[in-house]
Amino acid sequence: MADSDSEDDYMKMTFDDAPKDPQHETSLQRAARKRKEGEARSRQKSKAECEAEAELVREASLATALPETNKGFKMMAKFGFKQGDTLGKSETAQKEPIQIEIKEGRAGIGVESEKKRKYQEMWDQARREAKRAKEEEGNFFEERRQQQKERKAERDLDNAQRTAERLAEKEAEAENNGGAKEQHLTDINVLWRSRARHQIEHEHDRRLKNELTNSLASRLPTLAQEDNENDNDSKTALGHDVTPFYSTLENELEDEDPELAEFEALPVSERLQKILTFLRETYKYCLYCGHVYEGATMEGCPGVTEEDHD
Amino acid sequence: MAAKREFDTDDTTSAKRVKMENGNGNGNGNGNGNGNGNGNNPYLAHWNDDAQVKKDPSNSADILYKFKRHATTAQAAKAAEDGPLNPFTGTTLSKNYMAILKKRRDLPVHQQRDEFLKLYQENQILVFVGETGSGKTTQIPQFVLFDDLPHLNGKMVACTQPRRVAAMSVAQRVAEEMDVELGAEVGYSIRFEDKTSPSTMLKYMTDGMLLREAMHDNNLARYSTIILDEAHERTLATDILMGLLKEVVLRRKDLKLIIMSATLDATKFQKYFHNAPLLAVPGRTHPVEIFYTPSPERDYVEAALRTVLQIHATEAEGDILLFLTGEEEIEDACRKINLEAQDLIREDAAGPLVVYPLYGTLPPAQQQKIFNPAPPPSKKGGRPGRKCIVSTNIAETSLTIDGIVYVVDPGFSKQKVYNPRIRVESLLVSPISKASAQQRAGRAGRTRPGKCFRLYTEHAFKKELIEQTYPEVLRSNLASTVLELKKLGVDDLVHFDLMDPPAPETLMRALEELNYLACLDDEGELTTLGTLASQFPLDPALAVMLIVSPEFYCSNEILSLTALLSVPQIFVRPAANRKRADEMKELFAHPQGDHLTMLNVYHAFKGEAAQENPKQWCHDHFLSYRALQQADNVRMQLKRIMEREELELMSTPFDNKKYYENIQRALVSGFFMQVAKREGNGKTYTTVKDEQSVLLHPSTVLAQDSEWVVYNEFVLTTKNYIRTVTSVKPEWLLDIAPNYYDIPSFKKGEIKSALQRVATKIARKEAEKVKR
Repeated sequence: MADSDSEDDYMKMTFDDAPKDPQHETSLQRAARKRKEGEARSRQKSKAECEAEAELVREASLATALPETNKGFKMMAKFGFKQGDTLGKSETAQKEPIQIEIKEGRAGIGVESEKKRKYQEMWDQARREAKRAKEEEGNFFEERRQQQKERKAERDLDNAQRTAERLAEKEAEAENNGGAKEQHLTDINVLWRSRARHQIEHEHDRRLKNELTNSLASRLPTLAQEDNENDNDSKTALGHDVTPFYSTLENELEDEDPELAEFEALPVSERLQKILTFLRETYKYCLYCGHVYEGATMEGCPGVTEEDHD
Repeated sequence: MAAKREFDTDDTTSAKRVKMENGNGNGNGNGNGNGNGNGNNPYLAHWNDDAQVKKDPSNSADILYKFKRHATTAQAAKAAEDGPLNPFTGTTLSKNYMAILKKRRDLPVHQQRDEFLKLYQENQILVFVGETGSGKTTQIPQFVLFDDLPHLNGKMVACTQPRRVAAMSVAQRVAEEMDVELGAEVGYSIRFEDKTSPSTMLKYMTDGMLLREAMHDNNLARYSTIILDEAHERTLATDILMGLLKEVVLRRKDLKLIIMSATLDATKFQKYFHNAPLLAVPGRTHPVEIFYTPSPERDYVEAALRTVLQIHATEAEGDILLFLTGEEEIEDACRKINLEAQDLIREDAAGPLVVYPLYGTLPPAQQQKIFNPAPPPSKKGGRPGRKCIVSTNIAETSLTIDGIVYVVDPGFSKQKVYNPRIRVESLLVSPISKASAQQRAGRAGRTRPGKCFRLYTEHAFKKELIEQTYPEVLRSNLASTVLELKKLGVDDLVHFDLMDPPAPETLMRALEELNYLACLDDEGELTTLGTLASQFPLDPALAVMLIVSPEFYCSNEILSLTALLSVPQIFVRPAANRKRADEMKELFAHPQGDHLTMLNVYHAFKGEAAQENPKQWCHDHFLSYRALQQADNVRMQLKRIMEREELELMSTPFDNKKYYENIQRALVSGFFMQVAKREGNGKTYTTVKDEQSVLLHPSTVLAQDSEWVVYNEFVLTTKNYIRTVTSVKPEWLLDIAPNYYDIPSFKKGEIKSALQRVATKIARKEAEKVKR
């Protein structure tokens, strides 16, 4: 391809007009640069610097093998020597010149390696400790964060459940026009059933306590006397009702509720997620906006989770 | 960089030269043998007289003539040893001989003389392991003499030693044991000293010396048996010799080889020498209890001093050996131990204590002091006295000091290191090996059961110390070795069978350096200059500088300088008197640098005033008399070689303004690869090509404004230093070493652009000249 020089090689990978290093330098800049360079050159290097530099050069040269251009190499090649060969007929012949090691000071044999070993040990120890400290530190913050997150989630869950319950009750009221209907625990949505259950349990506990007090009182003659004087109202007020209204619910407490158990076994965040989704889908309500939306798309709400509301 | 190495460790050198000198002077390369066919030379008849005489049975104890070579028994040899005539000389044996003989027969090796002879007779190569104290170094060569009978065949038995001192002292001892004159039947050959004669049959020599001999006699024809002693020390020369002899034994079936080692890890030698048989003789050693510190020591010197004093105060009688790393540390420790011991003695908490330092550069007379007996109790019935020797690792293997019961081992020694990547060869304090530690501990059990206190934990001993010390061949610049091997006729260095081959880069760098020095051509073949350089027992850079120095009209001066660079430091700077020492040095200082300053010192030393009382003069001027004397000696040896090689000796007149410049230029011709340039206006320099950041060593006299310098050494401590520097002109670099200073091959940077500027300037001047 004799004429390739003259033709413009449009396939080449370089750009002729690629910007090069800044070419234009004002006279002031140039003067400043020259002065700096001059200063760097004329500065007397400290002894230590010189020594270090000399050592560096020496070490570099010591690590560099003589090149094949060496005149001696050619003379040796005449006798069949090739790069990488050894001399003589011994199998253990030296390949490289013996290393030069310069001893500084009067440290005895083993001091250097002992020092190295100690440094290595100290270094390892320090590294292990740093690692552990970091881990511990990380764990602590992580745990704290996790705890806070969980607590917040629990609070949110509670809020959401309460809201859901409230909304559900409101809806039921609207449907039934206030007519109280006997309710089974299992009829309550599992999402907030626990709330009702807790309430009942709480009630139950209170009642048991009342009953205990009452029964004790009934056995005491003085009090029994008084009892007789009580009318039904006061009896009711004192919780001495004979026929409790919540009997059905109470009975259910003893029953197995696998659905609830299953739900309760889920992590807080997941329960929260479910209930939030329920609220949105059923009531177009967003807990974090605190608002019931009009449209099904809930336009204006940034998302399901709290993070979306940041 | 390693200028001193040759003379410090390789003892071969000039002693060998002297010998060759004599030989060549007489037109005879071989004084001992008839091997070179000189037997017919009528002028040399007297050389062969001794041999002739000995071959006449009537003149000597005829007993050995009944011996059948390589078929003798220990019993027969013993009978010959018993006399009454000396089996080798025929003279009556002395009483002293008989007394020594009795002791010799108690040595552990004697138990296995027959076993040894059998293996020796049946094999060409034998590995012999004998722990210190077994008597192997003195006895085995004698066992060999009785069986090999070298004198009857015009041959010799050689026994190598890594150190000259050992070669000398062992030869002395063996001469005594054989009841002969040192230098006659038994001799030694070390650097600057050849104590042998035509009648010599057993020659102790340094390993480097034998290697040098091999350069001229590739088959080592004058020897019938070669014993490489202390092979476990793995010196450079021993390793090279092993590689070489492995080949020679194939060519010379009549040559026997014994590898002697003091450590039990001899299987490596066996394996290397085609599974040669091994004979081990237990040493005479006592158990040594080893103690470790419960935790590592923060300051090993402090800990060592504490330990020594505690031993002195609490342990039973027996001398202490403490290992430290270097001269300064040792002297300092000696001073401190002395001070503290004085206190103990004053409080009557301990007996008298005498402390001796021991290191390589210590004058021999002072080294000898370590053999003094421990001091007596200060009063009758008082606490026993004790001596404490504070030593470098030369007391680890080479010197045996009896009476040592306690060894304190901090676990360090100074070891040579070389790295081809930055071309640095330096002595560095390094941890010792496990093998070294065991060797050190063993020193405590020579006389009776001892204790070794290791100033490190048992865990550190097991986990941090390497098994074996790296052999020298892995820690050295191999430029001169490569040159030697080339001269020895080893062409394929890549596959040269060394026991522990060095890293390929080490060989690569050595070849490259020799090529730039024009000792090897581009094909790796020895050049004329290379052949000439190999004649000098010097680092190639120094040898080349010396050879070309006549071109710069200053060979006399370069000769002196080379000698000065080949000996230990000539300037003395005692801790207590540094200022005065520096003032004295200032008297000789040349502003252009240290090389020229050293030359000034030498000239002053040779001057009339100084020569009146050179010892005093040196003392007054804070100079080492020993080093200068040694330099003088080396100079003489080198001068002989120069004369023989017909290299002209000349000087530029001193009043010529080019007097010093010529010397500097000659310096460049050898050391152009060791040049550094100053960075900007700072104190730091950058080495050429390797680009290492270096500082001038504080000892330099050079003024700070030299832009380019050549240096003799790149020293590695916690800082990078270049030591012994002299200023040069960059024009010279381009002019003298154009191959190395080939500007386009330089990495982009300050050095390249500086050289570029110089080149342009030169070109412009040339052009102007042409115009005119």
